[in-house]
Amino acid sequence: MTLLAIDGLTLSIGDQALVRDLSLSIAGGERLGLIGESGSGKSLTALAAIGLLPPDIRAEGSILLDGRQVIGAREEDLLPLRGAAVATVFQEPLTALDPLMKVGRQVAEPLARRYRREGKKLDRKALAREVRDLLERVSLPDIDRIVNAYPYEISGGQRQRIAIAMALACRPKLLIADEPTTALDVTTQAEILDLLSDLVRENGMALLFISHDLPVVARVAEKVAVLRRGEVVEQGPVTSVFGAPAHEYTRTLVSAAAAFDKALEPAQ
Amino acid sequence: MTVLAEQQEDSARRTRRSLTLSIGLLLVGLHLAVALLTLVWIPYDPTGMTGGRLEAPSWAHWAGTDRLGRDLFTQIMIGSRIALIVGAGAVAIAAAIGVTLGVLAAFATRYLDDALAATFDILIAFPTLLLAMLVVAATGTASLLSAILALGIAISAIVARLTRILAKRVLAMDYITAARTAGSSWPSIVFRHLLPNIWPTLSVNFALQFGLAVIAEASLSYLGLGAPPPNASWGRLLQEAQGTVYTAPFGAVAPGLALVSLVIGMNLLADGLRDIGDPTRRRSR
Ligand SMILES: Nc1ncnc2c1ncn2[C@@H]1O[C@H](COP(=O)(O)OP(=O)(O)O)[C@@H](O)[C@H]1O
Ligand SMILES: [Mg+2]
Repeated sequence: MTLLAIDGLTLSIGDQALVRDLSLSIAGGERLGLIGESGSGKSLTALAAIGLLPPDIRAEGSILLDGRQVIGAREEDLLPLRGAAVATVFQEPLTALDPLMKVGRQVAEPLARRYRREGKKLDRKALAREVRDLLERVSLPDIDRIVNAYPYEISGGQRQRIAIAMALACRPKLLIADEPTTALDVTTQAEILDLLSDLVRENGMALLFISHDLPVVARVAEKVAVLRRGEVVEQGPVTSVFGAPAHEYTRTLVSAAAAFDKALEPAQ
Repeated sequence: MTVLAEQQEDSARRTRRSLTLSIGLLLVGLHLAVALLTLVWIPYDPTGMTGGRLEAPSWAHWAGTDRLGRDLFTQIMIGSRIALIVGAGAVAIAAAIGVTLGVLAAFATRYLDDALAATFDILIAFPTLLLAMLVVAATGTASLLSAILALGIAISAIVARLTRILAKRVLAMDYITAARTAGSSWPSIVFRHLLPNIWPTLSVNFALQFGLAVIAEASLSYLGLGAPPPNASWGRLLQEAQGTVYTAPFGAVAPGLALVSLVIGMNLLADGLRDIGDPTRRRSR
């Protein structure tokens, strides 16, 4: 079944189009990479998919999220979709967590919402236990300390793991990750990517993975859409798009990544 | 700079902060204690002729007497109570109106937000005192309540503008978008994330506005637009002392000192408060 079907999406501000005639779809359990340079409209597309566009940006076309039209929908109709159908992880681990709330409470919040959604009893102990389970699943060390820590007291990589745990707490059918590793160092980046791939697979979630970095997309996604200046120039399975790029822009992306690999080789 | 020097500077800064906070608490606490005391005990009847006219300060009359022979220290003590009521009342009203409108503007669509922002700016461009005079004129009578209401409304524009800016900054953060994608409702965003995150800055501003409200009320009273005796404020005492300021300067100096000490106390408190409520600034652990 198709979880997210974007068809002919155009986003504009005034008479300037930021995204033009974009179409893509993600089926249940499928992992799609959205790749493109900075400013190409990746984040706006993601925000449009969850109905959280800035108020001055106009959307045309169709976005079906879990079978429901998002464009033009009222806030109260979108609310039940959020969390249940979709959750997000963002780029900046520093701003992705509320600086004034202890980490444990932040993870407990979406969890409590899911309990209510599923009609489960809100039992403090069960909630606390599942918070710890979630933190364990995202491979955080020293959980006793981290549960009671403020975001500024833990590292960037740890914060991003918390953000992932919060998204997992929702048990969404689709996880949107908007450049979740861009702000991290290379080692941490690889760890988070592997964690994300494992978790998505284990839970049967679909993934919309946004990045400007080709190797990163190739690592987690099976399908890819290449975005350039608000337009999709090419899409298909990762192997064919990156293996035999049809569009000029994709070719530059691939050769840039290849050149980078080559530059690293002598050092290894 | 070496780590050691940095640490030393940091601890010096902390000491300075806590000293500021202590002096602020002391001054405000003193006024609060006096205000509470007046509820159960005052040295003299504030309206009775309890001494000669325009007596200089003495053991019997610590701040001297006014031109009707009434004890000034008693009136100044009552003035503390009035000032605290005015400050707290005005700030409470300003907070209720200002924070609500500011948050509303931050959430609103572009046009409503622009309209509200412009309204705040226009209201702020009016001198607080002038605005307050208009409100007092509109309510008809000069009473303590009308003064509080007037100042509360005048200050609410300042609070609204600050709240709007702070709220917009917080609402643009990823954790807000993440919470919204995860299904948080508006009330939950406002009460769990937004208000706690703007509170540290707002509370500092409230303390400053408290001091300004006390000054503004004194000015209103000085102009004869404040509460009449026996609930006279320091501004009223200053006005009454005006005619005799050369022959009996203590009549103006004493309430003036009371006013200044409370306002300085509030400002120091505001300064010291800056660190509290923001865990990232509490670096002592
Ligand atoms: N709130 C906004 N108002 C106006 N323009 C915006 C807004 N948000 C993004 N844009 C513009 O839309 C374009 C795409 O932005 P974005 O989706 O954030 O790019 P990406 O995520 O691919 O780096 C950029 O040119 C950006 O300047
Ligand atoms: Mg982006």
